[in-house]
Amino acid sequence: MKVMNAATFTVEREDHTVGNVIRMQLHRDPSVLFAGYRLPHPLQYRLVVKIQTTSQSSPMQAYNLAITDLIKELDHLKAVFEHETSQKQADYY
Amino acid sequence: MAIEKVYIANNTSVIQDEVLAHRLGLLPIKADPRLFDYKSEEENANEKNTIVFKIDVVCTRKGERVLNSSVTSDQMKWLPEGSEMPFNTMTKFTSFGSSQKNLPGLPAEGISCQYPDIIVAKLRPGQAIELEGHAIKGSGNIHAKWSPVATARYRMLPEVNLMEDIQGKLAEELVQKCPTGVFDIEDVGTVKKAIVARPRNCTLCRECVRGTDWDKRVQLTRVKDHFIFTIESTGALRPEVLFTEAIKILNEKCHRIITELS
Repeated sequence: MKVMNAATFTVEREDHTVGNVIRMQLHRDPSVLFAGYRLPHPLQYRLVVKIQTTSQSSPMQAYNLAITDLIKELDHLKAVFEHETSQKQADYY
Repeated sequence: MAIEKVYIANNTSVIQDEVLAHRLGLLPIKADPRLFDYKSEEENANEKNTIVFKIDVVCTRKGERVLNSSVTSDQMKWLPEGSEMPFNTMTKFTSFGSSQKNLPGLPAEGISCQYPDIIVAKLRPGQAIELEGHAIKGSGNIHAKWSPVATARYRMLPEVNLMEDIQGKLAEELVQKCPTGVFDIEDVGTVKKAIVARPRNCTLCRECVRGTDWDKRVQLTRVKDHFIFTIESTGALRPEVLFTEAIKILNEKCHRIITELS
């Protein structure tokens, strides 16, 4: 397919759990023109992510950036959550 | 951690072997699965990947009374030294190097079922059940018995707006209508005004907009980026631990994807 700055990434052993999150993170990138994911077959455990970017960056870059941003966001979420719960008095059970 | 293999020495009850084994698998076990390792089929069962339980109950009649007519989960005893079966041989089904009693992180009372009053089987006089259950670590996507979460749900925060000032009798009527106590009366000078005190309690039952003209006075929407998650645990791990473990799993997936690329 002769489309500039477009790539498809196939990820084995993954499903909507990461696919949807990566897609949403890619949408937030202003240099990404097109981002989508699909599971080619529900019985086969693999994922296909299709990305098209502007000439500013490459699909590879956008993909890497999205995943590193996601990892940072998850770490931040975990830190904030642990901070908040340690402040509340825990008297269950 | 949930019982995966059941070695039945004696089962003279009405409950079939496979039904009994199925029920034992679903019992929630009060052990932190992070202290144990996964066990594959070919590996030997040792103290790092297996927990052994035994049930040995005989139903007898003592005069008028019947003892042990129901087998409850607190009659399932933990064997920290390993399996005792098969009875006649020296090599048992598990090869424990050391006792599990000294495993760090275990609760003081030892490992048991999370709830002591779950009825596993019912017996009549003369019937007996003698079996051993081996529990291993597993993931909830293979069988629900390994899932540490009872229910997990989320909803968005409801937003309740009062379009106009509601005073006096109308305010009292509004406070009465809401079954979860979202509204409150505030005395401003001599006038009673209704305010939205606890929007988080709102279940969106729409009682406050029933009746004539009420839907012009109260507006119900949802805040699009505020989520209220409710996580119930089966008991092995605390709910906040479950949340952090879930984030760790998502993190691992992202790491794995990015290392696959490079």
